[in-house]
Amino acid sequence: MPSLLLIVFVLQLVIHLINSFGANALNNWIWTLYNKGPTPTAKAYKEQVRLRREVVKLRTQMNATSSQDEFAKWAKLRRAHDKTLAEYEKISSSLNASKASFDSTFTFGRYACTNGLRLVLQFWYAKQPMYWIPQGWLPSYVEWILSFPRAPRGSVSIQIWGIACASIIQMLHTALTAGIALVIGKNGKNGKNGKNGKAQPQKVPVPAASSTELPKGEEGESKKQS
Amino acid sequence: MSSTAMINGDDDLMEPTLQSILDQKTLRWIFVGGKGGVGKTTTSCALAIQLAKARKSVLLISTDPAHNLSDAFNQKFGKDARLIEGFTNLSAMEIDPNGSIQDVLAAGGEGVDEAMAGMGGMGNMMQDLAFSIPGVDEAMSFAEVLKQVKSMSYEVIIFDTAPTGHTLRFLQFPTVLEKALAKLSQLSQQFGPMLNSIIGARGGLPNGQNLDEMLSKMESLRETISEVNTQFKDADLTTFVCICIPEFLSLYETERMIQELSNYEIDTHSIVVNQLLFPKAGSDCQQCNARRKMQKKYLDQIEELYEDFNVVRMPLLVEEVRGKEKLEKFSEMLVQTYQPPQ
Repeated sequence: MPSLLLIVFVLQLVIHLINSFGANALNNWIWTLYNKGPTPTAKAYKEQVRLRREVVKLRTQMNATSSQDEFAKWAKLRRAHDKTLAEYEKISSSLNASKASFDSTFTFGRYACTNGLRLVLQFWYAKQPMYWIPQGWLPSYVEWILSFPRAPRGSVSIQIWGIACASIIQMLHTALTAGIALVIGKNGKNGKNGKNGKAQPQKVPVPAASSTELPKGEEGESKKQS
Repeated sequence: MSSTAMINGDDDLMEPTLQSILDQKTLRWIFVGGKGGVGKTTTSCALAIQLAKARKSVLLISTDPAHNLSDAFNQKFGKDARLIEGFTNLSAMEIDPNGSIQDVLAAGGEGVDEAMAGMGGMGNMMQDLAFSIPGVDEAMSFAEVLKQVKSMSYEVIIFDTAPTGHTLRFLQFPTVLEKALAKLSQLSQQFGPMLNSIIGARGGLPNGQNLDEMLSKMESLRETISEVNTQFKDADLTTFVCICIPEFLSLYETERMIQELSNYEIDTHSIVVNQLLFPKAGSDCQQCNARRKMQKKYLDQIEELYEDFNVVRMPLLVEEVRGKEKLEKFSEMLVQTYQPPQ
């Protein structure tokens, strides 16, 4: 069996990852997987996906047709679109109810597996010391805190170890995201600078006369042409 | 007037006249509507004239706050049905919602009670909100409809409705009111005994009305309304004639209206296209030819989109269609396809 230290660390990591990447996203992903198998809602889900595609397709077709020039075709597309949309709404609302109940069940299961497991471990190994601190290294009250609640004095309890892991993971996460943002920001600036060399003049304020002359001139020309 | 047998070579082809409406003897309610300025009043008057030839008694009601029936027939109409001059079985009525409410307020006393009883207890609330609610027109028109339903003295009733927004709200009114009243009566059944004990202590509602009485009036109102609702949704009893002109906005509005009507399950299978130009061949009027071209484009779209509708084409005439004679001439074109002089 792998070291308890490692297990607690991995568990904290998993909890943190789930929290930061969104429980919702996970729920949706699992919902999609769930509907791929032979489940009661699978058929309705496939229907919903199909209808959604249909609505989007009809909408693009409708927007591509000019209502002034081809009113009949546009109106027929619009009727089909409205009808499909109504069907989609209906099936969505019924599926949402099932999804809500599935979500709550899965969330409960998820909690049991992660936080629940964490609590179980904490209770099971409450009295077990994680590791021993060298004697005299820290004052006695600090030792008492570190062994809180039930581990022997002079050692680190599983609860404290869990908290420490969580804090470290959080700090690492913050540092990582800051670092990535910095790198992306730098790359973005570098990329823009190359284009900015040509774009700069547009941003320089030009005297009013020359800025208005051009558009008016163009307008006048186009009017003459029409 | 015996109905002529229409032999259609092609069963799918819908004839371009309103003859089917004249032939349908079971029809009781005919709505004529469309976005402003398309010729609703003219067409509804013309249709009424044709129907008067084929029925025992016809009533034409205008629910438009800006009344045009008086203009069309050169005769003053009011909130009581009046026979149109020159006809024996055609009457007209103009419902003026502001007028009737003012009458009610001015009369006070007995008049108020009667009018309020007619509206079934809702009148008290409406008195306060009369001038602020936009839907008061619809409510007053609807009260009139209820009276007609109860009396049933006309064989067919034609509604010259106000421009689109009002029309559809008016038709929505029965459903909305029915739901509201159903909810109210449900609540009253649940809380009635409790409220009675509270109100009984005070000695009646502030208005001096008995709660039970008001509730029973509401209940009977609800029943009448649901009856009217059923009648409106029955294709044998009710139909809607859409009026439009061959222009984009009118067409768009007509399509929207037809879709909403089908949502409310109200039958509609006739469209009247007004103000068609027929410029003479070789005419050098630029505007006429250009307009004719545009109208032709939209007419083709109408033909394509509304294959299962009776699409009637009415020409733009050189003079205003006002007065009995001109309306009669105009009404002939509703049943006999107009042949442009070539």
